[in-house]
Amino acid sequence: MQTTKEADFTLDLRGESCPYPVIYTLEALEGMNKGELLQVITDCPGSFRNVPEEALAHGYTFAQEPIKNGQEYLFYIYA
Amino acid sequence: MKKMIHTVFQRHWNPYVVLLIAGVLSALYFGLTSTVWAVTGEFTRLGGDILLLLGVDASAWQYYAMVGLHGTTWSRPDGWIVWGMFIGALMMVLLSNSFKIRLPQHKRRYLQGLVGGIIAGFGARLALGCNLAAFFTGVPQFSLHSWIFIVATGIGTFFGAKLTKMPWWKGRPSLVRGAAQPSKVKTRIIQPYVGAAIAIAYLGLILYFFVTGQKALGLGALFGLAFGILIERGQICFTAAFRDLFLVGRSLMAKAIIVGMAASSVLTFIIIAIYGLTPITQIAALSTLVGGVLFGLGIVMASGCETGMMYRLMEGQVLFLPVFAGNIIGATLLAYAWDHLGIYNTLVSGGAKINLVDTMGPVAAILSTLAMLGILYALTVAREKNYHHHFELKRAVK
Repeated sequence: MQTTKEADFTLDLRGESCPYPVIYTLEALEGMNKGELLQVITDCPGSFRNVPEEALAHGYTFAQEPIKNGQEYLFYIYA
Repeated sequence: MKKMIHTVFQRHWNPYVVLLIAGVLSALYFGLTSTVWAVTGEFTRLGGDILLLLGVDASAWQYYAMVGLHGTTWSRPDGWIVWGMFIGALMMVLLSNSFKIRLPQHKRRYLQGLVGGIIAGFGARLALGCNLAAFFTGVPQFSLHSWIFIVATGIGTFFGAKLTKMPWWKGRPSLVRGAAQPSKVKTRIIQPYVGAAIAIAYLGLILYFFVTGQKALGLGALFGLAFGILIERGQICFTAAFRDLFLVGRSLMAKAIIVGMAASSVLTFIIIAIYGLTPITQIAALSTLVGGVLFGLGIVMASGCETGMMYRLMEGQVLFLPVFAGNIIGATLLAYAWDHLGIYNTLVSGGAKINLVDTMGPVAAILSTLAMLGILYALTVAREKNYHHHFELKRAVK
């Protein structure tokens, strides 16, 4: 699943607590063109689960598996 | 072994499993101590302790006479429930190497947290219990006030969710073009060692309580620890249970809480029947409704309730410092307003302690409780379906 494609946009959510990571992620994806790639960097532990699950539930797909980077997670999601 | 360590410390646990265990443990705690798992009563007493430090003796206020203001937080079992939860959560955060100072990008969050915390603290104590004593451990006690509280919290969080969506409230995210570099990861890992040291010291303290015959403190410290571990590992969030249903149609937490409450109700019912205990009943009155609405609004404004903020603070989410302070300020304000500003006379005195076991008999009480939880579950699923139905339509149009 590894991708070499460079992200079109980056959403840096470090420091933000729930529910803002989910709200921001869904809004960012909604505002992007279909097929564009969004990189999400987040460190709210609640968002490690609700961001990927809600992105999927809202019909978006993942470019690659989430990456755990120390105390933060990186997500790569197609709009 | 390595796999087990990975599952226990590196992953968050399934909320259903966590809340089932929490439901069972809270029923056991009631069986052993005749008190329930609760936190905001102690927050109110902490407010009283702080007032005393400032030279104000609040122990004669009616509210403190009712909830009791004896000794210090270290000599109260309810105090050890609170500190045990903090320590249990901190232990797991450190053992999983996930502590990090997290500062919100938007400075407005601190003010939102403080104001929301005050409203939630005030509302919870007005209703005589937060999401625990008036909710998760209130329903299994068959106390009618918790039924009113659930509906009221639902109403409050609905308006809270509306507020959260306002652009001036949520602020703009930092969306930038192109890829960005993640943070550098520290290679030296020391957090788990600190966590283990804390765990050993705390278990020693619990042992000390039992050996010296301070059983109530030992049980409080032990169950507090277990609840702290559970809510952190399960990322249990009562705020999210309601709010995320309204915001993004997310139902996982709500369903897990309902299942946990059902299990706890059945077990508490059995314990009451076997040991002949009296269930803990709080006054159901207009104050329950008003308090629940304020609580629901406040927890969404603050991004966390009195329980959820505890483990988030231990994770290093600095936002929850003003929330914690707000909770104590709000609870103390309510304790003052109770008799001094006539809250008791206007909102509470018309109510009564109503317990379903007394009014309809034990069998009808458990059956109606399970039926009520079933209806809540059905409403949760319906809301999720409805949200996604509308979302699909919106996407199709786009």
